[in-house]
Formats: sequence, C-alpha cells, structure tokens
Amino acid sequence: MTLDPVTVGIAAGRLTSILDEQQATLVRTAFSTIVRESEDLACGVFDRAGRMLGQSHSGTPGHINAMATGLEHVVNAYPADTLDPGDVLITNDPWMTAGQINDLTVVTPVFRGERTVGFFASTCHAPDIGGRLLSAEASDVFEEGLRLPILKLARGGEMNEDLLALIRANVRTPRETVGDLYAQMAANDVGARSLLRCLDDLGLEDLEAVGAEIRRRSEDAMRAAIAKLPDGRYEATGYSDGFGERIVLQLAAIIDGDEITLDFAGSSPQSEHGINVVLNYTHAYASFALKAAVAPGVPHNDGSFTPVHVTAPEGSILNCRPPAPVASRHAVGHFLPGVVLAALAPVLERHAAGSSDALWITVWSPFNLTLFQSGGAGAWSGRDGRNSSGFPSAVASVPTEVFELSAPVVQRERSLRTDSGGAGRWRGGLGQTSIMSLREGDAWRVSALGDRTTVPAPGADGGHDGAVGEITVDGSALPTKRLTSLAPDAHVRLDLPGGGGVGDPRERDPQAVLRDVVDGYVSVEAAKTLYGVTVRQTREGRVLGPEDFEIEENA
Amino acid sequence: MRAGVDIGGTFTDLCIAGPDGIVAIGKALGTPAAPADSVETVLRDALEDQPFDGGDLTRVVHATTLVTNALIERKGAKIALLATAGFRDVIELARERRPDIYRLDVWRPDPLVPRHLRFDVPERTLADGTVELEVDVEDVAALAAELAERGVEAVAICFLHSFTNPANERAARDAVRRAAPDLRVALSSDIAPEIREYERTQTTAASVFVQDRVVRYLDDLEARLSALGAGDRLRVMLSNGGVATARDAADRPIRMLESGPAAGALAAARFAAFNGFRDLMSFDMGGTTAKLCLIEDGRPLVTHEFEAARTDRFTRGSGLPIKTPTIDMIEIGVGGGSLAHVDTLGLLACGPQSAGADPGPACYGGGGTRPTVTDADLVLGYLDAGFFLGGEMALDVEAARTAIKTHIADPLGLSVEEAAWGIHRLVNEDMASAARVHAAERGHDATGLPLFAFGGAGPVHAFGVGAALGTTTVIVPAAAGVMSSVGVLAAPLATDGVRSKLEPVDESTLERAEPLFAELEAQGAEILSSSGLADEDITHERSIDMRYVGQGFEVTVPIAPGEDLRAAFEAAYVRAHGRTGPDVPIEAISWRVLSRGPDPDLRLVAAPAGDGDARKGTRDVWFEDGYRETPIFDRYRMAVGTQVEGPAIVEERESTTVVGPGATARVAEDGSLIIEGDA
Repeated sequence: MTLDPVTVGIAAGRLTSILDEQQATLVRTAFSTIVRESEDLACGVFDRAGRMLGQSHSGTPGHINAMATGLEHVVNAYPADTLDPGDVLITNDPWMTAGQINDLTVVTPVFRGERTVGFFASTCHAPDIGGRLLSAEASDVFEEGLRLPILKLARGGEMNEDLLALIRANVRTPRETVGDLYAQMAANDVGARSLLRCLDDLGLEDLEAVGAEIRRRSEDAMRAAIAKLPDGRYEATGYSDGFGERIVLQLAAIIDGDEITLDFAGSSPQSEHGINVVLNYTHAYASFALKAAVAPGVPHNDGSFTPVHVTAPEGSILNCRPPAPVASRHAVGHFLPGVVLAALAPVLERHAAGSSDALWITVWSPFNLTLFQSGGAGAWSGRDGRNSSGFPSAVASVPTEVFELSAPVVQRERSLRTDSGGAGRWRGGLGQTSIMSLREGDAWRVSALGDRTTVPAPGADGGHDGAVGEITVDGSALPTKRLTSLAPDAHVRLDLPGGGGVGDPRERDPQAVLRDVVDGYVSVEAAKTLYGVTVRQTREGRVLGPEDFEIEENA
Repeated sequence: MRAGVDIGGTFTDLCIAGPDGIVAIGKALGTPAAPADSVETVLRDALEDQPFDGGDLTRVVHATTLVTNALIERKGAKIALLATAGFRDVIELARERRPDIYRLDVWRPDPLVPRHLRFDVPERTLADGTVELEVDVEDVAALAAELAERGVEAVAICFLHSFTNPANERAARDAVRRAAPDLRVALSSDIAPEIREYERTQTTAASVFVQDRVVRYLDDLEARLSALGAGDRLRVMLSNGGVATARDAADRPIRMLESGPAAGALAAARFAAFNGFRDLMSFDMGGTTAKLCLIEDGRPLVTHEFEAARTDRFTRGSGLPIKTPTIDMIEIGVGGGSLAHVDTLGLLACGPQSAGADPGPACYGGGGTRPTVTDADLVLGYLDAGFFLGGEMALDVEAARTAIKTHIADPLGLSVEEAAWGIHRLVNEDMASAARVHAAERGHDATGLPLFAFGGAGPVHAFGVGAALGTTTVIVPAAAGVMSSVGVLAAPLATDGVRSKLEPVDESTLERAEPLFAELEAQGAEILSSSGLADEDITHERSIDMRYVGQGFEVTVPIAPGEDLRAAFEAAYVRAHGRTGPDVPIEAISWRVLSRGPDPDLRLVAAPAGDGDARKGTRDVWFEDGYRETPIFDRYRMAVGTQVEGPAIVEERESTTVVGPGATARVAEDGSLIIEGDA
C-alpha cells in the first residue's frame, strides 16, 4: 500500500496515544514510590529491528534515550523471529541499557499471529537491586548488586519463577522490585493490545513501512533544525563535585551542515568510584539537551538520533569500561545537558545560566526509602529560573505524607532556600531545604547522593552563580554519595543548590527586587549588596505585604 | 415545571421541561460582568411566551463556568495559607516535576497564595494520626486577627496528615473564628480529605479562593429568582453529576468546577437511556475543543482528580490539581475552528491552534486565510454554504478551497478534495484515539460503543469518528445546541463524602468500616434532608479505593453489603489494568459514599412537529473516494419514525448530521436522530 502523509500522520498520532496508555498503566500499577510517585521511568515502542519509533511524554531522558540505543542489544541477543508469544525479556546491564543496575528494562514482543511486529519496552528505577545501597562507594559493578544479562522473564506466558525467586532472594525490597516488574509487563501488554488494534484499523501489516516513514521524517526535521545553526566548533567546560575529586566535563560541539558531533574528549578519566557513565547514558543526556534546545517539537525516535553523534574516549568518565562502578552515574550524567547548552549558547536565541543539574537522591536505610529532590533551575535571559524544578530530569518528588506512611521517618521541613538563587537581572531559581528525623527505632543510615556542594551552578552574562548545596547532620557536614550511620536523634539537613542568574543583578528591575524581598526569595541584605536596591520595611508585624516595604532612593 | 440554565463560554442556555417534555428552550449572550443578568434575561424571555410564571417552576437548576473562570483569571478573594511549620512552600514546590521533558518552557501556574501570605504554624500530626504537637491556638488567633486587619478575606488551613486526624486543623479553625469571625476558613480535612499534601492544599486554597465570589453570585441569583417568584427553587449543578442546594454548593464551592460539561454528559446519558442505550461515549465537539465522556450503565464515569487552569491547555501537569469528584471527561484540542497545518515532519496535523471567532475559518470571510476543520467540512459538502446557522451566515467555498490548497494540498502533493478529506479523517482519527485512550485508562474498551454526538461540529464528525471506533450507532439528540441546560434537569440531588483511612483488606474489613460508612451516610442524609428530600427517597452508594499493599494508586470499587472485597478488587483491577498484580495483600485507603435522591421524573423529549416532507434537495458530498449526489433533509420537518438511507445530510440550525453510505437514520420518539450502520 502507499503511505500517504495522512496515513503516516494518523499512525504517528496513534503511536503517541498508545504510549500514553502504556505509561498510565505502568504508573498506576507500580509498587515503588520511585515509579508511582516520582515517575523515574520511560516507555517506548520499537520496530522488529529494535529501532525506537516513539516514546511516552514524561519520565527521564536518561532512561528513554538509553533504552532507545539499548534495544539493539536485546534484539541482537533475541532476534524477533526467535521469540514466542508470551515471552518477556529483562536486563539491567548498565553498558547495554541505562547505565546503572537499579534500572530494569522489560521488553515484550508484540505478536500478530505468528509473527513479531515490534516491541514495547520500559525502563524503571528499582528501589533496590541488592549489593551495596545506592551510593558511589563500590569499587566495581559486581559490588553494586545483582546484574541481569538479557534473560527471559516469562516464557510462553509462564513467569520465570526461578529468576523471580533469585531476584526476591537478592534484594531488600522484594515486593516493590518484583511488583514493578509486573507493572512493566502489564503496561507493555496494554501497549501491545492497542498497537494490534491500530494496525488493524489502518490496514497495516506491521510497523516497518510506517516506522520507516516516521524515522525518515524525524531525521529530516532534526537535520533541518541543525542546519539552521551556523557551522563551527563550540566549546564549553562543566564541573561536578565528583567523589572527593572534581570532575571535568569537556565538550566540543561541532556543527557541520545538518549534522552535529558532541565530542567529550578532554573530560576526566574513569573514576575508581561509582560515578562512571556508560556511553549509552552520555548519549542519552547529550542528545536530550540538543533536542530540547533546537527541536523540542520533533518526535524523539531512532531517526532523530541519526544526525547527532556523541563521542567520548573509552576509559573516560563518560565512556567507562566494565566492570567500573556506575551506581551514581546520574551525579555526572545529569551535568551534560548544562554543558551542551553552555557550548551552544552563542547560537541559541536565549542564554541560560547553569542549573542545579543533578537530581538529589537520598536512600534511607533500613527502610529502603528512596527520595528524589530538585534544586533551582538556571535563569534564561528574559525569565527568572524556576524554583526547585527538575532539570534535566523531569521526575517528581515523593509527598511527605506518602513516605511518612511507609517509613518511620519524619520530615521537619520542606521549604525554599532564601538567597540561594544566583543574583542576576534574571534571578536563578531557589533551591530547597529539607530536614529529616527518625520517628522511632535506634539505627538509621543515609546515602545522600547530592551534588553541586562544591561547584555552583554558573551564572551567565554577568549573572551570579547559584548557592552551592550542603548536607549536614546536626550542623556538621555529612559526606555525600556514601552510606553513613546516624544517631537516633539526628536531624539531617539537605540544602539543595540554587540555579545561576543571567545578566548584571544591578540591572534588575528594582520593583522585582522589592517583590522578591516581600516574598522572602531574596533577603534585605542581599537586595542591598547584590542588587544595589535598599528595601526598607515600614511596618512591624507578621502579616507584611508589598505595601509594607519601600525602596530607599539614593541609598 | 423545571428550568435548567447553563452559563457556558459565550452563551447562557435555558431549557424548561415538564411532565410532557421540553416546553421551551432559550439562548442569551452571557454577561460576564454580572453573570446572573443573563440568567434572569433568558428566564424572563422564555416565561413571557408561556402560560405559566416563575412561581410554577418547582426547580431552577443551574450550571456555570464561574469557578473555572475565577481560577483561570485569578479573580477571587485575597487568601492566606496556614500550613504546618516548615511546609508553607508545599503549594509552590508542588511535585517539582516539569510537565514535558523536552519543552523547557511549559510550567505550572503561579501558586494561588503568594509566599508573603503563607504562614508556618507550629503543630504536627504524624502519619498514624498521633498528634505530636498540638496547635498553639493563641498564636493562630493572633495571626488571624492580624490577617483580618490587613485585609485578608479568607484562609485555607492545610496541615500534614489532617486527612487522618483533623483535630489540629479544627482547633485552628475555631481559633480563627474566635479571633476573626469575618474571615472565611476552609480546612483541607473538609474540602479534600485525601493523602498527598500538595494536591490537598491546592484544592483547599482553590475552594476558599472562589468561595466569596460564588456566595455573592448565588445570593444575587436567588434574589433575582425571588423577583420572578421562584426564590427558593435554586439548585446548583456539581461536577460529580449531582445537584445541591445553593447553600450546600457554596459550602465547598470547588465542587462546582466542571458543572457545565458534567451537565452535558448527564444529558447524553439520559437521552441515550431513553433510547435504550446504557453504555456509550458522549462526544461534544464545538469550535475549539471536543470532549469525550464514557457512560457506563446509564451513568457518566466519575474521577476524583481534575486539573484546572492549565498554562498549556492540553499538557497534563501544567495546571492546578483539584481533588474533587468530577465527571470524567477528556478534552481534545480540536474543534471546528482548529487550524490544519503541515507539521515539522511534513505530515498533516490539526489543532490545537484555532482560528477562533476572529478571524475565524477562511470560509467565514472574516479575513482568515488558514484552513480549518470547518473549511474542510464545507469543501467536502458536509456543510451548506447557504445554510450555516440556519442561513444567517453565508460561507465562502472558494476561500476555503484556496486556504486548503495553499497550506495543505500543494505542500503535500494532494488535490484539494484529498486534502480536505485528509483533514476530516485526521480529526476523526484523533477523536477516536482520544476515546480509546480515555476508555483504556479506565479499564474499558471503546470499540463499538455507540456515540452520542452534540455541539456544533459533533454531528458532522460523529459518523466518521464512529467508523474509526468500529461503532455502528450514532445518536444525535434534538436540542443539541442547549444540551447542558437539558442535562442539569436530569441530575438528582446528590452529595459526596470521603474519608482516607488505611486498612488492611480481610474478611472483617467491611464490618470494621461500618461505623465509618454509617457516619458518611448520616452526613449525606443530613445535607439532603435539609435540601428538602424525604428520608425514604435517599439512597447511598458505597465505594472503596483499594490497591495492592505498596502501590500508590487505587482502584475505586463499588461495594455492596457482604461483598467479597478481595474478589471485587481483583475483578476491577484486571478490568483496569489487564492482569492481576503479584500475590501480595490488599489495602483500602479511601472510603466514599455518594448520597443521592431519585432521578427527576421528567420526560426530556423534544419531539419535532415534522410534516414528513423533509427532503430539501441534493448536493455533491464527498464520501471516502469521491463526491456523490446526496439528498439533503431538513431535520425540523422530519416526523417521529421518519427513516432515511445514507448517504444523506440532515440539516438543522445549530448543526448538520452526516449519515454515511450504508447507514440508516431514523427519528426516535424523543426527537433524537439514531443512525445505524452495518458493522
């Protein structure tokens, strides 16, 4: 049959809505707070060769884009024609998929009659996978927990009970870890069911022809977006805390016609600690940033990746060799989008300051409680940075009420951090403060994967850096990225970093500074010293509005 | 005699019905500055022509967009938030999530309460309901007095875990009332007693934000109705598909959020049931959007979460989450005025940008040059250039063809007709896709479900949407232009109660829950009897939100006495999610009671006075692969029982119904047009 643009458009729309169905099922049936509350997940549909044709709307770039490249490995191990209906595949191999063994990828072939017509897959962050608790302390990947090569999770509709027993015996959260696998399978099934109906409705044999069209058109659109950027070599350097030693992320973005190479040569070498990034994950975050910056409307699939080349020297922190420890790879990988945006700043319309970048993940033991938190985002020229907003990831926090119900932990505070946003004509977004305590019991531990505690989010165009983050226990610094025992009466304070500002703060509209003071985003002192605006409070009281402050002229 | 009045986006619609059916319908331009004006006008005008007066109206049932608009336009009270110390920023921090991973621009609306009006109140309740720190009522009283003095009009109180133990919230409320009796107060444990502090806080703040406006409006409306002799007859439509007295509605006004669309879905359920269809999909397509709602066993499905005031209308997560029972609808950004375009992939796409009323579709001749869905429908012959809005407005076919040729046909290498057919088909497919997702997310299958079509563009597209869904039946009601005002008349008096309390599910769960359910039922009964219902007319429907232990989302399961909870849950779970979960225990988290009165005893029929000679002529209409000479019928002249064979076009003032080849349309007893095709 001929594939006219109308049919291709309809098919593309159908695939998008099918992926939304898949994701909705996954979130609603998942057990871990990581999947059901924070949505640290990705869903995708693939053709017979494992090429991604579409992805669901939310989730995390690291998962989606790593899954996109990872399915190739799965299909190489189990070519479409070797599978039977009811087979389900699973793996968490970091080098093949999302770069850490907590991320479990579940792949279900879709059968139309006897023939595989494609795959649905999802990747979810498991609350535990055995080994050391999530941290950067392991010296190799074997210490980090249970590594699953590409295996059958189900055969012909029967669960692989041996494998499930093995997983249950090796993880601290058997109910959640295995429960989420069920959710992933259910979600893939929903996708498969709807896909078959879609093929019937549109009179298509399989996804090959329509998929090729979608990929070709996406590739063309991506090429057109890249071609609009002036050719050249654009460089930037970014830094992250690392594990005791600062990590350098060096990027040369080379635009050549309608293709772009993001080359990370010159970045730090592979680390002894678990902050190493596999190339799959480097590719995922680098290509995410490029697309968000130049072509957010182009669907993300195998085609739109084609003109984007991501390279990093083997043995570097961004292309580590097995069996490097990788559990906290996000603490480096999440910095890549910021570096890409910084490099491309000369060719982008709007300059952005640096963001907090790495998501803060805290794992509380022995409760197997994993919390995600975001610091402030960088300002853009023309817009203040968002307070406590996930970037580059788009995951959500867990409600206090939800986790207090599942663990004897009491949160004492969750509030915005005054003055943490980098000063600027456009102010950086504020970070947040959390304080955690133990309700009952006597021993607890935390692994706090926080970053930007030594390297602030950089300001741009004269804007100031954001405040660095800080983790303290009763006032003393707590080491990050490793498991630390806590006293029963300890209060753990997490001060998340702020985003960078854009432009000279003395050019900020004084009324905006006044409003920031009224709302306590900026202190009176900072308004004076950083913005040059002297704000005077004209009335005492607890209920104070804009009418109770004034700007002192000629101060 | 009952009157239904719906204030929609542009118009205020009226329907008066009695034991013999609909006796009058009316329409007036809305009056946003004083909304009650248009209600009074439309009622007065209609009553002038009737042998009865306002005093003969036993009920005036009202639906309005007041609450929705107040949230979108931020027109509400100056409110403050009292939160557990350390948590006043929850309403701003929300869940920290960006709604769209690639579009860095999309964000939530600003919080409803600015930070300088959010206050930390020392108090703490723990997850199990234990009060760790009692609220300092003197401190709250002092704060309340200062708030009132500083011109704050209302206060939302949202403490952690108040859905489990509301004691601290209630003590704080009492302190506020003592110190500042004129401050309105809303407790999160009253407005949305469910887990997840951000969503609960947001709902409570939204409710108290709009409350004063709602109260003043309903007072004004009651005064005007009194002048018409129908003072105490006012009832207000709620989002859940029930109605309440003005007082009850004003008590928790956030429940009025989606009252208009709810009424439309209710009308669909009622008309369809009259014609023997109890499971169906309602499909309301207007100028800029379409709404779909699943109706099961004669009732629209209800959800317990809704998102209001989105910054990006069709992006989930870009709005304010509201936890209140709401008829469950999906809104699609495609209507008659939506612009067709070629997207970045070189593919045909449609919406959500719309030509709006100005300049409007190219064929309106108002200066629009870009093609819309209406332009495509005109080129295909579905619409008559000379009979749009009953002939009030001439349409320009050439302008429509030029717009389609320039922007769609030429870039895609298609003929104008192929491009127009592509637009029409794409819209139908988008609707069908949305219907499928909507049904699938609720554990249903949209395939083959009858469609109930209304709105200006609904009947034009219903046949095609139905075809895409494998549907053989389409119902197009009479009075399709005022469906919401008809729908409010179909709503029973109803009120919802909910409690969150975590309980393991076992043999004795229902027994243990009996006091809780009994309390909710007593509260519901009290509200309904004070609304004038006799005790014997009140029924209660219980449901429980259950999940596997460890999950975060629940399945709402209707519960009959003596029900096997595990079996009921697993059946509902399999229906919703395809397969059962792993072998783990089940827990119950929210306990719900819907208390309702009987369905109003009304015959909502509007049988046409047709004289049987309805054929107006023929014109060329495009079906599938080419134009066919197709007969055109005047709906107003089609008598009950009239049957026409497709292809056919049935025209009326507000819309046009397309009947495809192979299908048959007949006029049912209530005036509905029922189209049945071969499967």
